[in-house]
Amino acid sequence: MAETTAEATVERPLRTPVGTVHIVDPHPLNWLYITWNTMEEPVRTDAQGHLVGAAMEESRWIDDRTLEVKMRRGVRFQDGEECNANSFRRAFDEVQRWRAPHPPGTSLNFHPQTRLEVVDDHTLTMHFPEPDGLILGKFRGFHIPSTRFWDEHGFGYKKLGSGEGHW
Amino acid sequence: MVLKANTDHWNRERGPRLETVVFRNDLDPAEALRLVCDTEGEVDIVTEVSPADAGRVRDSQHARLVTTDAMRLVVGVINRDHAPFDDVRARRALNLAVDGDKFVKEGFGGYAYSTTGLTPHYAAGRAPDLEPYPYDPGQARRLLQESGYPAGRPLILAALPGMDGLADLLAGDLRSALGVEVAVVVIPEDDLLAAQHSFVEKVLPAPFDVLLFAWFDLTSDAPAAFMHSWFYGAMGAFRAGPPIPEFDQILDRYVRQTNGAELNALDEQMDRLAHTQALSLFLCAPQALYAVNKHVSFVGHATTFEVAETEVSEGHWSRRQA
Repeated sequence: MAETTAEATVERPLRTPVGTVHIVDPHPLNWLYITWNTMEEPVRTDAQGHLVGAAMEESRWIDDRTLEVKMRRGVRFQDGEECNANSFRRAFDEVQRWRAPHPPGTSLNFHPQTRLEVVDDHTLTMHFPEPDGLILGKFRGFHIPSTRFWDEHGFGYKKLGSGEGHW
Repeated sequence: MVLKANTDHWNRERGPRLETVVFRNDLDPAEALRLVCDTEGEVDIVTEVSPADAGRVRDSQHARLVTTDAMRLVVGVINRDHAPFDDVRARRALNLAVDGDKFVKEGFGGYAYSTTGLTPHYAAGRAPDLEPYPYDPGQARRLLQESGYPAGRPLILAALPGMDGLADLLAGDLRSALGVEVAVVVIPEDDLLAAQHSFVEKVLPAPFDVLLFAWFDLTSDAPAAFMHSWFYGAMGAFRAGPPIPEFDQILDRYVRQTNGAELNALDEQMDRLAHTQALSLFLCAPQALYAVNKHVSFVGHATTFEVAETEVSEGHWSRRQA
């Protein structure tokens, strides 16, 4: 949990997606699976469930309360906007507004006193009031959408006026 | 819901490989299974296939069965608030009373693994030297008697909706091994939310001795973060019984541990404590089963359902039509 496996950005020719599949997924977490299929997160899990870098290329603890996050270069949302440290910042600001944004409970919350500093477009540091050994697991539930998502939808904001329990 | 491919996604090695993914919410699982097994062009992937339906998929003309070792757990939550299950001997008796191999074979058609604790053998942080509790009805009955189990007291086995068959299987073993009456109470679907609130809030006494329960994890890297802490931690939603100071001391170090190897060492400590203290009735880790059209290449994931690597061959209906 304290480290992720690096997943390199491979420069390969663009693959042309082909075909359509129809899926019936009665799992109660279907809402989360669709979110994971459509949004960026700092990390994802491989087929065996191990954490690997996704929008985040790597991270390192500077000290036991300061985590440096390097965002992957060349990541773009489907609407063309670049996904970078500023996108992370926006998602962090949005999620920190709520007391219990994640349906499974507050164990996925960042500490409310966490501070985030954008160093440059692809680097940021998170300053925690106490060591957080589970931060990479929390990143799994930390969705990073484009500006347009936040401005037009948010996690339930427009429809229900609240983000509690909607992440 | 229709998902369209992001053709500019950074991870070109992985995908997306499909142009369109349609989640059909207009079909119930039984109808979906019929369509994927017996037709083409209606349904390509059905998740959460029951082990009872696995044979139908295997025998299908159009579909094949995909099995995935998943971070899923079926466990008996033992209510340690009630004597004699505050006594480790009574909890060990429960574990020794269940024929784990039979439970996996008859309850899951073999599509599951017996567990030693809450950590499946393919996850990080498992204690490699632990073995599942053996099936030992004689020792189970002796331990339960030593723990002072009152004569004539029925054991209350509760179960989540849909787990009736597993509960009956478990009850049969407990009755025959322990020599006690077992009352099976399956929570009605309409009462589930109230039962969940009651269980999590812990204001009212839990009305069961053992609750047959299913849970999952979001990664394989730190099982205690989403498994052990939820079942045994002082703040754990599924803890049934008083806090466990020894566990909470390890958990307190765990949540502050930023070194991955040290974190997994603490995962192992927590799973070992759970096993030796028989904090739950350890049953199995079920596989995830999928029915997949034979022209679809699909990779199952241990902790999620993702379709980035999914692709279709030229013989697939959607390409034949193109």
